[in-house]
Amino acid sequence: MTDLDPAEFFESARRAAASCAGRTAVEQAARLAEDGLLGVLAPEAAGGLALSLRFAAPVIAAASGALLSLPLVETLLLARIAPMSLAAALVAGETVGTIAWNGAVDARETADGVTLDGVAARAPAARDAGWVLTRLHDGRAALVATNASGVTADDADGFDLAVPEGMLRLTDVTVPPAYVLPADVWDGVRVDAEVLRAAAILSSAELCLAAAVEHATNRRQFGKALIANQAMRHLLARQKLNLESLRGVLNRALAADAAPIAARIAFAAACQYGPAIVEGAIQVHGGMGFTWDLDLHRHLRHVRMLEAHGDARGVRAGIAAHLIDSNAA
Amino acid sequence: MTTLELDSPLADLSGDAYRTAARDWLARNAPQQFLADRAGYTAPTVPELKQWEAALYRGGLAGIAWPSAYGGHGRTLAEHLIGNQEIGRLALPESVNSIGKELAGPIILAIATEEQKRRYLPAILEMREIWCQGFSEPEAGSDLAGLRTRATPDGDGWRIDGQKIWTSGAMNAQRCLLLARTGPVSDRHRGLALFVVRMDSPGLRVRPLKQANGKEGFCEVFFDGVYVAPEDALGKPDEGWAAAIRVLSIERATNRMYRAWRFENELRHLLAAAKNDARLAVLLDESDYRQRIAATFVDIEVVKGYVEPAVAALVAGDSIGARGSLMKLHWSEAHQRFAALAIELLSQASPDASPAVRNAQRRFRDIYLQSRAETIYAGTTEIQLGIIADRILELPRGR
Repeated sequence: MTDLDPAEFFESARRAAASCAGRTAVEQAARLAEDGLLGVLAPEAAGGLALSLRFAAPVIAAASGALLSLPLVETLLLARIAPMSLAAALVAGETVGTIAWNGAVDARETADGVTLDGVAARAPAARDAGWVLTRLHDGRAALVATNASGVTADDADGFDLAVPEGMLRLTDVTVPPAYVLPADVWDGVRVDAEVLRAAAILSSAELCLAAAVEHATNRRQFGKALIANQAMRHLLARQKLNLESLRGVLNRALAADAAPIAARIAFAAACQYGPAIVEGAIQVHGGMGFTWDLDLHRHLRHVRMLEAHGDARGVRAGIAAHLIDSNAA
Repeated sequence: MTTLELDSPLADLSGDAYRTAARDWLARNAPQQFLADRAGYTAPTVPELKQWEAALYRGGLAGIAWPSAYGGHGRTLAEHLIGNQEIGRLALPESVNSIGKELAGPIILAIATEEQKRRYLPAILEMREIWCQGFSEPEAGSDLAGLRTRATPDGDGWRIDGQKIWTSGAMNAQRCLLLARTGPVSDRHRGLALFVVRMDSPGLRVRPLKQANGKEGFCEVFFDGVYVAPEDALGKPDEGWAAAIRVLSIERATNRMYRAWRFENELRHLLAAAKNDARLAVLLDESDYRQRIAATFVDIEVVKGYVEPAVAALVAGDSIGARGSLMKLHWSEAHQRFAALAIELLSQASPDASPAVRNAQRRFRDIYLQSRAETIYAGTTEIQLGIIADRILELPRGR
């Protein structure tokens, strides 16, 4: 496995994503599964490659760039932690997985397993997903089939046009013990999702900056190209600085010897720089930037929802707490 | 100073062992009174700095990657990074000879003759000679192509006439790396040549300027018929400056490689001081301050995210192009943001603030004022933005 190249995963995912236009999330999953892209993180016993985030990040980047409606961050992570039969189905693209990032539900032990009640929100593509991971109030997490009795999934709002997030209502939903995962598994999923979201945000930001550069180069006003103005050159240079700043900390988080806090740093940087780059690209495009036809607003909606899924403010609070608590008084 | 070790204790070590030995050496030898985050801090004098930096060199932690033929320790840039990370973790004073070690030295290594390398380089590392940089002029700040100081042939050598400004440390220097014009001003970037000028040369006069931070750091330097011997011309006229530009673009990415780790030391000092003050400890629990502290740490980690790959690329023999401009632009502005946060927070300390908090206030006021210069020297923010636009984004000129 050591001779694998993350760049090849990006190329493979980019090609697969390009052929996903007009397909549903479930169809997109099937298409990516054809190229083995859904099993990047999954164990080999489930048909996966059991690789590190370094190989998942380029797959996420390609999907985010193409604005796929498939909740890919969640599907890849669930394929790594789910019981083997479900993991295999996720890897094969037979079903789609999602995670409710906000909220937790009540759980009570019953004869058949654990019975759940409550509401969990911020689940990307909840209506398309076959399975959802939701947090329990005691810190554990449970995998729930969305077609199980007592489960309803609603579109919470239409902000992210690429991957509409949904809300899960669970009423007396019983899951078997094997589908209840310990708290450290949930914590691990959350940390890894921070890195993958940073990769997604970087990808959207990079595409939008490239579009801004192209527009500024070709658009003429006052008898010259926009790019001839120093104000425009400096603005784009600042966006490039932001982009490369994000890339640097993301690469640190993807390194084999990454510090535990590196994931949080990468996500915090993504939320600091990513939306600003996309917003800047809209500004550079002028009135065109505010039209429905350009994808810029779709990327903006997407990166803002990724920011919300990861609770950027909470992540920054965690970074500060780590520093303050670890600092000898 | 505790012990001065005459032989490098790091000579035969590598990797983690090298890091441990460097850390141990610094723990034993770094003068505690010069550590800005310790009680009892006193600012070192220039002679004390020279003595300390000479010890640092003998200890193996200066001239780390310079060739051993010229007094260096002959190690890799990766080990230079390790050594600098360890130096950065301590609140040590800035070098009084950074121009010698990080500007003149690398240019000399790139373009000087063998005889010149042997003559100039060991004296820099041994702190026998401090260097200053004679580039900027009153009419040529960011735009060096407009510089007017002239070098006129005089026998076998040259005669220098003109004026330099913003010449940091000229009042302490023994030598000046001088950029002067051998052709007409209309030649712009052509006809520029590098010279090494002794600061005690007849006709050379130094006038220190008082800086915004109250210190005398930079100077005006006047050249009135200053003679430069032929063996003190660096590189061939027309070629020297172009080579120097190439060196400078790498140096921008590699100089003061400890910077990110020093910034982290500063942040930890700020937090430690705040935790020790009743009022500041309350503020540290405020959400707004926690968000800004986290943003500061992200900024610092971004600096590391620039430095480490640049070193890896150079070690692998790859070009880093203009990447140094990204790094310089980021760290200089990040440091200003951090310093502003620090003085704002510390200004709210208890009326009976402890000596430790007052020490932190003094340190961060200094850093805050000094950081105003950081977006100006070594290529202003606006120059870096231009380089990023032209050479990294490769934006067309647009007409």
